[in-house]
Amino acid sequence: MGFLEVDTISLAFGGIMAVSRVSLSVERGQIYAVIGPNGAGKTSLLNCISGFYRPQKGRIVFDGHHLVGLRPDQVARLGIARTFQNVELFAHMSVIDNLLLGRHNHFGRGFFHNILFGYRAEEETVHRRKVEEVIDFLEMEKWRKHLVANLPYGVQKRVELGRALAQAPTLLLLDEPMAGMNLEETEDIARFILDIHQELGTTIIMIEHDMDVVMDISQRICVLNFGEKIAEGTPAEVQSNTAVQTAYLGEHYDSVLKQLEQPLQP
Amino acid sequence: MSRLDTIPHLFLDKVRKYGDRVALREKEYGVWQDISFNEYYRHVRHFCLGLVELDLRRGDHVSIFGENEPEWLYADLAIQSAGAVAVGIYPTNPAKEAKYVIGHSDSRFVVCADQEQLDKILEVKADLPLIEKMIVVDMKGLRRYTDPDIMSFADVEEIGRKVDNGDPDRYERLVERIEPSDVAIMVYTSGTTGPPKGAMISHQNVVSMVKNALQVIPQYETDEIVSYLPLCHVAERMMSVFLPLNSGATVNFAESVETVVQDMREILPTFYLAVPRIWEKMMAGITIKMKDASWLKRTTMAWAMPIGRRMAEARLARRTPPAALKLGYLLARLLLFRHLKKELGLLRARIAISGAAPIAPEVLFFFMSLGVPVVEGWGMTEETGIGCMNRLDDVKLGYVGQPIPNVEVKIAEDGEILLRCDHVFVGYWKDPAATASTVVDGWLHTGDVGELDEHGRLKITDRKKEIIITAGGKNIAPSEIENRLKCSPYVNEAVVIGDRRPYLVALIQIEYENVAKWAQEKGLAYTTFKSLAQLPEVNELILSEVDEANKDFAQVEKVKKFRLLEKELDHDDDELTATLKLRRKTVYKKFGDIIDEMYKSKRG
Repeated sequence: MGFLEVDTISLAFGGIMAVSRVSLSVERGQIYAVIGPNGAGKTSLLNCISGFYRPQKGRIVFDGHHLVGLRPDQVARLGIARTFQNVELFAHMSVIDNLLLGRHNHFGRGFFHNILFGYRAEEETVHRRKVEEVIDFLEMEKWRKHLVANLPYGVQKRVELGRALAQAPTLLLLDEPMAGMNLEETEDIARFILDIHQELGTTIIMIEHDMDVVMDISQRICVLNFGEKIAEGTPAEVQSNTAVQTAYLGEHYDSVLKQLEQPLQP
Repeated sequence: MSRLDTIPHLFLDKVRKYGDRVALREKEYGVWQDISFNEYYRHVRHFCLGLVELDLRRGDHVSIFGENEPEWLYADLAIQSAGAVAVGIYPTNPAKEAKYVIGHSDSRFVVCADQEQLDKILEVKADLPLIEKMIVVDMKGLRRYTDPDIMSFADVEEIGRKVDNGDPDRYERLVERIEPSDVAIMVYTSGTTGPPKGAMISHQNVVSMVKNALQVIPQYETDEIVSYLPLCHVAERMMSVFLPLNSGATVNFAESVETVVQDMREILPTFYLAVPRIWEKMMAGITIKMKDASWLKRTTMAWAMPIGRRMAEARLARRTPPAALKLGYLLARLLLFRHLKKELGLLRARIAISGAAPIAPEVLFFFMSLGVPVVEGWGMTEETGIGCMNRLDDVKLGYVGQPIPNVEVKIAEDGEILLRCDHVFVGYWKDPAATASTVVDGWLHTGDVGELDEHGRLKITDRKKEIIITAGGKNIAPSEIENRLKCSPYVNEAVVIGDRRPYLVALIQIEYENVAKWAQEKGLAYTTFKSLAQLPEVNELILSEVDEANKDFAQVEKVKKFRLLEKELDHDDDELTATLKLRRKTVYKKFGDIIDEMYKSKRG
């Protein structure tokens, strides 16, 4: 039994099957990539895991806990953190404050407790230190006190990754961490993902369109198309899979390839 | 009576004197962490014993490759304590140049800061057969590296700790056998011409340099220093290692290269060194910021700056300023200068030094007007970094000041500056021919051309090799004109050309950030550095800046034509040295067509 078991889940919006009978198993300590064309159901799958959507059928078991039916905050408490395809930060708060929010689940006492029994500064010091560790890890010293709204997009994505890390997750869900980045930023993020994986031992599930990155850093890949899983395996296996080639290049991909092989007519 | 004639002995003396006082400060996880002299010492001692256990021998060479951090200093002093020679490498050096230094110095060990530097060494390790161990400070990201020669800094310290426990006098014995004449460090000169040369500097050189320098630029145990320039450069080594070893001042390490400005504001150093490029940048920063400040701020600036200038003039002329001016200045300081200085992190600066390259007098004057006690000094790697220095109470703009005590300066027949003192270096490593032609009868031939005034203050004209002799037979110092051009906030780099040509022309690299801002305000469209430099409006802008600069020069010294560079000059492309000095030959060759074209076309 894997660290995360997704067992034949189905999710429908009205008549549309967003996710259809998808199963997958992620081992502890893996970097697992989910790929597929647009609208294949990748983000829906991630949303099912993180509790944003509730699949109508199937089960999801994470480290012995059943996830289906739990609220997102309950899922987060189990040690699952995520980033979003479009940056979802508090734009008018500083980087530090955004990261401190990631620590929310680890705060022992809430707002009303503090009002009634007084504010505990030691607790905040501990969390502030954890946040600084994340800042150090992702090399964000320069932006520490900047407002998120004033930062370039590539940095905002890094801050979001930082907020997820601040939760100290055991499973990290990344929804297109490299989208909209230039080559240098992409390389930086790829290096950070590897560092997170090696140094912190975090299991990572990642949706990504940049195939070079996916093939480079992930150990196992699952391919979705129209809500169904069409392939799963190592990067090499997935690359040579005919169903995957059809999904990406179209029905008549072989004829396309043949045309490419023939010399061009003068 | 304990010895004080080598660097490790100086260090031990300070450790005994200061013990738990703060020696170094490093920002970790957003908080400044104190490191006492005792802790500093413990790291040095253990790292030294660890290296010796790994078979480092007296006279061996060890390279240090990384950004400024306490471990750089631990390694530096540990290597020297073992009687070995510490060789610094610029952290910005690409693999090829690092390979040259490591290979040429016969280094057996390399201390690298992190994965980035280690990767560069692994890239060229096959060509460096002498390397036995690569010692890495920050092991982040190295878990999958399999090279058996990689070790962590902490591991070496741990080995040293065990040795220390078994043989507590070992370190003292090592230090005791060091002779003052032993080579302590090797500094590779950046070499604007030819490959870098390894200048060997002995313990005695450093000890006497420190003694002489402190008489002119006194440093106290209460001083705060921010270490941010590359430590392999002799000037920063002097600032961060040698001077504090004598004074007990606290050295603060910037968190990263990008946060220096913020760190400066937090520390507010009292003793500060910057290179001209940084002074120019700070000045451009203020000029640009004031342009889009509110009406009130601009008016205050327009009122305060002339007062500051008059005050600086009075001080330079050593006149007592009139009472009205004093009062005005007090107000200007309260309303504006204090805030500007705080912004720059120079509020508490007791002495601010400009060195390592010639600076335009206009820039120095600007900071004097703000009330920053800035003085220009001059020195060379070959004489341990400091030769002449303006005194705080005797500043002459355009001059680098009188020689420091125990330094003799004279001008040779051909105008070359010659220098003689106790801290003239030992020689170039593996290059006796170059040593023999540099130090003749005890006089160091500096390669700079200059003159002395009636009080013995030195004025540097230019590098001897770079003096331009125009077709009309006129001798011109290009750096003077270039520095004047660089005073403009829109000019980043200027290269003046004209050797054996009828008139002077220039290649100019725009200051991308400021020109980009200017273009945005004007509503001009551009995408990259190249497209920005190609805009006719930008050309017009720079033309007006060049015309402005030309006003300060005689007819033959005026720049008649210029072209904007369409790429930024870069260390990686060999156009600049690691200290960002111009490599003229490469630039001439690379942009030869543009230069020729300027002399062919009529006017433009």
